[in-house]
Amino acid sequence: MKDVIEKLIQEKLAREVEAKTRRHFIKSCAQGMGGLALSSIFMGCDPLGKPAEKKLTAFSERDLNPLATLAPPYAPKVKSVIYLHMAGAPSQLEMFDYKPALHKLDGQDCPQSLLEGKKFAFIKGTPKLMGPQAEFSQEGESGNWVSDFMPHFKKIIDDVAFLKAVNTDQFNHGPAQLFMHTGSPRLGRPSIGAWATYGLGSVNQNLPGFVVLTSGGNTPDAGKSVWGSGFLPSVYQGVQCRSKGDPVLYIEDPEGVTRDLKKSTIEAINKINKDEYAKYADPEILARINQYEMAYRMQIAVPEVMNINDEPENVKQMYGVEPGKESFANNCLLARKLVEDGVRFVQLFDWGWDTHGNIRAGSVDLGLRNKCREIDRPIAALVLDLKQRGLLDDTLIVWGGEFGRTPMQENRGNKKMAYKGRDHHGDAFTMWMAGGGIKKGASHGQTDDIGFSGVEGRVSVHDVHATILHLLGFDHEQFTFDFQGRPFRLTDVEGDIIKEILA
Amino acid sequence: MDVLKQLLGRLHPLLVHLPIGFIILGLLLQWHDRKKREYRFVIGFIFMWGAIAAVLACITGYLQYLGEGYGFDTIKFHLWSGIATAVFCLLMYLRLREPRKITIFKSMPLVYFSIVLLAMISLTGHLGGNITHGEGYLTEPLPNSIKSTLGITAFQEKEIALNEENWQEAQFYTDIIDPILNNKCASCHNRKKAKGELELHSKEGILEGGENGPVIETNNSGDSPLYARLILPKDDEDHMPPKEKTQPTKEEITLVKTWIDLGNPFEGSIGELGLEKNLFLSFFPQKHDYDYPDIEIVAAAQDSVNVIKSEGIHVQNISKVSNFLQVTCINKPSFGDTDFHLLKPISQQIAILDLGGTQVTDAIFKKLATLKNLTILKLDNTAITGANIEQLAQLENLKSINLAATKFEETQLEKFAQFKKLQAVYLFNSGLQKSGIQSLNNGKINIDYGNYELPPIPSDSIIY
Repeated sequence: MKDVIEKLIQEKLAREVEAKTRRHFIKSCAQGMGGLALSSIFMGCDPLGKPAEKKLTAFSERDLNPLATLAPPYAPKVKSVIYLHMAGAPSQLEMFDYKPALHKLDGQDCPQSLLEGKKFAFIKGTPKLMGPQAEFSQEGESGNWVSDFMPHFKKIIDDVAFLKAVNTDQFNHGPAQLFMHTGSPRLGRPSIGAWATYGLGSVNQNLPGFVVLTSGGNTPDAGKSVWGSGFLPSVYQGVQCRSKGDPVLYIEDPEGVTRDLKKSTIEAINKINKDEYAKYADPEILARINQYEMAYRMQIAVPEVMNINDEPENVKQMYGVEPGKESFANNCLLARKLVEDGVRFVQLFDWGWDTHGNIRAGSVDLGLRNKCREIDRPIAALVLDLKQRGLLDDTLIVWGGEFGRTPMQENRGNKKMAYKGRDHHGDAFTMWMAGGGIKKGASHGQTDDIGFSGVEGRVSVHDVHATILHLLGFDHEQFTFDFQGRPFRLTDVEGDIIKEILA
Repeated sequence: MDVLKQLLGRLHPLLVHLPIGFIILGLLLQWHDRKKREYRFVIGFIFMWGAIAAVLACITGYLQYLGEGYGFDTIKFHLWSGIATAVFCLLMYLRLREPRKITIFKSMPLVYFSIVLLAMISLTGHLGGNITHGEGYLTEPLPNSIKSTLGITAFQEKEIALNEENWQEAQFYTDIIDPILNNKCASCHNRKKAKGELELHSKEGILEGGENGPVIETNNSGDSPLYARLILPKDDEDHMPPKEKTQPTKEEITLVKTWIDLGNPFEGSIGELGLEKNLFLSFFPQKHDYDYPDIEIVAAAQDSVNVIKSEGIHVQNISKVSNFLQVTCINKPSFGDTDFHLLKPISQQIAILDLGGTQVTDAIFKKLATLKNLTILKLDNTAITGANIEQLAQLENLKSINLAATKFEETQLEKFAQFKKLQAVYLFNSGLQKSGIQSLNNGKINIDYGNYELPPIPSDSIIY
């Protein structure tokens, strides 16, 4: 045993020696000299500063707990965000953007003028226009349009504000999802939820600040980077929870490990980590300390909040939940519970919206109907449930996909497809928001007669981000993080707040 | 030749420092040499070069005046005092070197010359600085109180104030466009300092344009420099206002565009011109609809906040620009009526209080009544029945009470009628009938019983 320990100590020393480069040496020399000079100026009699343990107490709340809350720069309208992302891109032309003219043009060749200079993922040659495959009606006092694919939605139509002419410059799922969630189609940027938790922290000490729930049998094409923390400290990334099985993988203690043993283990590890931090001041060590502690608390709190079995029967029916399964309905109910418990950002991904018409499930007249049925009731239930609990005023709900779909029927390989489908299309698509600070029943932006492009009130993905940050109390132009020698923003160098949908 | 003139003119700001340096050095040496009089020759030499440099400065200064478009009124005092300085410097030289030639000098003590020369060079320098940096540049950092005692007035901003009632009557040019141009452009483009020979403080000036021609193409904002330069990238050399100056807002830029596209009318009200209201919304008084009262309040003592936090109660400023606090017991479900004393030190600052899911009872109302700035109150999931809730009626800012999942009694409901600013009461899952009172005080207070339903419909179970 003794040998082993000696070996370990030797290895540690060897590693340390290896890790120290000349640069480290010069840096610590410089810091040491500077520190000596500074401390003698400030303290006069204590030139060597204070011992390491005392240093820890001088940290700010944020240093010790990266999720400690911070006040937003400006008065916020909402405290939490629930972002509902339909991965694969839902067809706006079958759900919210009613184009009667497209009915009349059904089956006709798409004019060349529209196709020139455009890139499509699959469309080749001259595709044919395809009329809406759903029946539309105007609902609510606002008289906004919604299709019969979403029959329950009309109950909440006066609570939401539509953006009918969102556009993106990405037409493939991965980059478009990254763009929608991180403000850049390339890897490396933090997601909206990461920015929000970085900027505001999280109120509940026993739950993560940023929770991700997925449904539809798959995770988004862009991978976990869509809820990643990019260059922000990794503690701000989304924590994926599951509605089926253990809510978080490996959350249960292994057999034979008691809660007390776990506790003393974590205490010992954290003591070592704190010593390391005192030495190197690397914030990632703090993140690690905090994550050990949070994981320990989460072992109790998460199974509790993720358990939907104890919800009353009428609530379960309203959402249409299926306990024990992985479903969008379960995730919507969970989203409410999480927001109720003070979670800052809840991100839902539902997979299966890519309706090209190549298979039955991916057809706009059949498969899309099934997908809509899966989300229609839960979404209406979520809005109503938040409302009756007085939480809708504090919460922002955002719904959308990564882009929209073409008014033309897809003709992959220049052939007729097995089912009716539409190709990827970023020029114009629909999103909506509801909740605190949102103008109820508003509809902003308009597409042309066939829904190809926005003709009025076009908004970009950056504009959507600017608006979300605004509602959380940020000025998106001031909210930056310094990385690689320059400040970075979620909205890059763009983005205008969409005032038309703000109350 | 023009190029040379301009180039020489632009050397003026450099050259002026030579006579200043020479003259001050000469005066210092004179002071040092006042008893022994050993350095006469050197001093004379310095003033000779001072005079030559001053003449050069005068010439380049005049060329700059010709080349850079300053109004004569702006520079005349600087010009005269500059020439006077050059002349005095020359006289000084003559007084020192050739006193016998000009008899009148002999009778005048040298010290008079020195004082006048010092005064002249200071005045000229100061006036020159006023031209390049703007009048009042030197006094600008002074606090306003000192400024007003010195009798200095700051640049007059013109305020644009519109509201729901008057916005259509406001004159588009006089009340909107002129103040925008005045506040954002006229500090350089005015009669005194017409940079680029452009004056934007008057109708005549705008119509006349600047050295590059007109600034407005009628009905065509894109080709009108007055608008086109505003939307150039800030780093573009032609961008106006220069990037270090205050920039017009997006709304102001849109209004300038609208005005030009309308044919730059100098007469006519917003209503007569048929302009849309949302163009002007940014000039309306900002509505205060935040979750805290519209008053300023001192910050809570950090020590007391820390004490409360250490008890597991979450306390946070609502925003960085407000001292009002939001408090939640989400991490302290054991909070009970007796724990309220913890919040006493911040009783004035609490605007949002979330006691949802805690042990509080009706006895808490008496204590809550001391939180006079309370705006949002959450008491959901508690044992509250509503007895004595009228004690909260004195809270003049309270606009929302959440009583979901409580034992609230129907008989207490009417007490809310005494609440002045109350807007919303949530009573979901409180056991009250959905069919009860829907609103109070003529609809001002909305009572939400929740229990929303989404009844099953046939399409729920159709699978395609």
